[in-house]
Amino acid sequence: MKPTLPIIALVAAMPAFAQETRSLGAHEHGVAALNIAIDGALVAMEFRAPGADIVGFEYAAESDADRAAITAAIGLLRAPLDLFVLPAAAGCIVTEADADLEGGMADDDHDDHDHDHDQAHDHEDDGHDDHSDEDHEAGHTEFHATYLLTCDDPEALSGISFAYFETFPNAREVEVQLITSSGAQAFEVERASPTLEFGP
Amino acid sequence: MIARLALASLMARALTVGMTILAIALSVALFLGVEKVRTGAKASFADTISETDLIMGARSGSVQLLLYSVFRIGNATNNVTWESYQDIAARPEIDWIVPISLGDSHRQFRVMGTSQAFFDHYKYRQGRSLEIADGAPMEDLFDAVIGADVAATLAYGIGDPIVVAHGLASFTEHEDQPFRVSGILAKTGTPVDRTVIVSMEAIEAIHVDWQSGAQVPGQSTPVEVIREMDLTPKAVTAALIGVQSPLQTFALQRAINTYGEEPLLAILPGVALQELWGIVGIAETALLAVSSMVVVTALIGMMATIFSSLNERRREMAIFRAMGARPATILGMLVFEAMVMAVAGALIGVALLYLGLVIAQPIVDEAFGLWLPIVAPGLREGQVVVAVVGAGAIVSLLPAIRAYRMSLADGMMVKS
Repeated sequence: MKPTLPIIALVAAMPAFAQETRSLGAHEHGVAALNIAIDGALVAMEFRAPGADIVGFEYAAESDADRAAITAAIGLLRAPLDLFVLPAAAGCIVTEADADLEGGMADDDHDDHDHDHDQAHDHEDDGHDDHSDEDHEAGHTEFHATYLLTCDDPEALSGISFAYFETFPNAREVEVQLITSSGAQAFEVERASPTLEFGP
Repeated sequence: MIARLALASLMARALTVGMTILAIALSVALFLGVEKVRTGAKASFADTISETDLIMGARSGSVQLLLYSVFRIGNATNNVTWESYQDIAARPEIDWIVPISLGDSHRQFRVMGTSQAFFDHYKYRQGRSLEIADGAPMEDLFDAVIGADVAATLAYGIGDPIVVAHGLASFTEHEDQPFRVSGILAKTGTPVDRTVIVSMEAIEAIHVDWQSGAQVPGQSTPVEVIREMDLTPKAVTAALIGVQSPLQTFALQRAINTYGEEPLLAILPGVALQELWGIVGIAETALLAVSSMVVVTALIGMMATIFSSLNERRREMAIFRAMGARPATILGMLVFEAMVMAVAGALIGVALLYLGLVIAQPIVDEAFGLWLPIVAPGLREGQVVVAVVGAGAIVSLLPAIRAYRMSLADGMMVKS
């Protein structure tokens, strides 16, 4: 019991950490998620894919080759229209595109820091510095990308062709959620049939 | 000529043919009926919530959250604290947010605590708003608005007192705080019809004398004192959310799902509904399979009657042949007879379906809250009729081919 006392004192002394909870998001290799919201001429997209799908590994980049692979992947992910091909008639252009790797390189709002709390209880000498170990054992990494597109004719957005599967051979499936003025829909796009038609 | 002969032959065997047609008709009616109930249930579910971008609740499963918050099926695993609710409500993406508090009941109907905004923002069937058929929304603390089914079942009118029980199917009723019916909603065909709506504060007020789920003995706070009390809600069960722009929906959903202080869940109603259909889909497929097997059985029954009729008609066939009919003519006549039976069966089946719908519609609506629309037969019905006729022609080929082969030799050699 004794070793827990300092922890309790420590936790009590840090109101910010007092309510710390532990949680870990789901993570499935081979399955990426694409969220699309269409509002008038604006199309917002969010894409998340496991590191394993994009670069084939999820450990923190060690070699130069690893780092080069990650940089190249981020470059590819910043060109959404090459991965998710929209009908030419819609006349969409990318106004914003951002992509990065979460979980392995920089500490974002991923669930990492919840982890070392767990550990702090086990090894009381661990101190309580949050945001410490990036490459701990559960180290899944995810590529995240956000895009903003403007389309001349959003009515012509009838579907998406997923060139993504050709670019990233490890990818198996993309779970698509689509929000339009008529509500939200979900689709699953698999490598075997890499096209998506927005149904009625 | 052949057609006339075939029809006359069918007429001559009116009873067996009638029975065969009846079997086909019933099976077609069953198949289409199952189809109607299936699509009707789907549409009725899908129409229950509209124009709500997100539903927020305690972290559980998206289907579960959808079921208890919108359809009042099942119960919440947890509530959301008022602090978290306020935190989320203050986010810039939010256009409107409507709290929902469940867990009390009135007779067999659930009581829902909510805010006035519910009447403005709850939409069903492609954006239709709730309408108050009689009376007004809640103004006083102890005002309640009741759904159309509640009013009809319990014969309530404006001004009638009602007592709210704590928990579902509970025997301890909150007798201290009688509510008053202030408004009755028009029929919507949604679970709102079976809901008693009160204000969030009223839900708090009911529980003033209750601690740890039991009424404190001998303690009864007078209504006047309750009115003076601070009745800020302590928790909500779920919240309906509208966002400023659809583009922000996913960001807000993520913000709620990763809200650090409390495990919360935000779902897109449309996507959760799709997930639900994914689960229900298996049962649907089973139902469809069973009803199509019934159609197949009826068609096989028809084949059996044609086979047995061949025996009786050996002479007839032989005479046709002797008079110069080619074997193909015999075959064509039998297939044609079968198709006539199938067409008659399918059409009578469609007629039976509509008759059944007219009779069952109000009953099903009352018993299950499921509105089966009566619309003119469409593509689906047409497809079924064509499929049944086609299948009828195919199954009749077997006896027809037999007649084709046997007609001459068999008939001439008959001795009886």
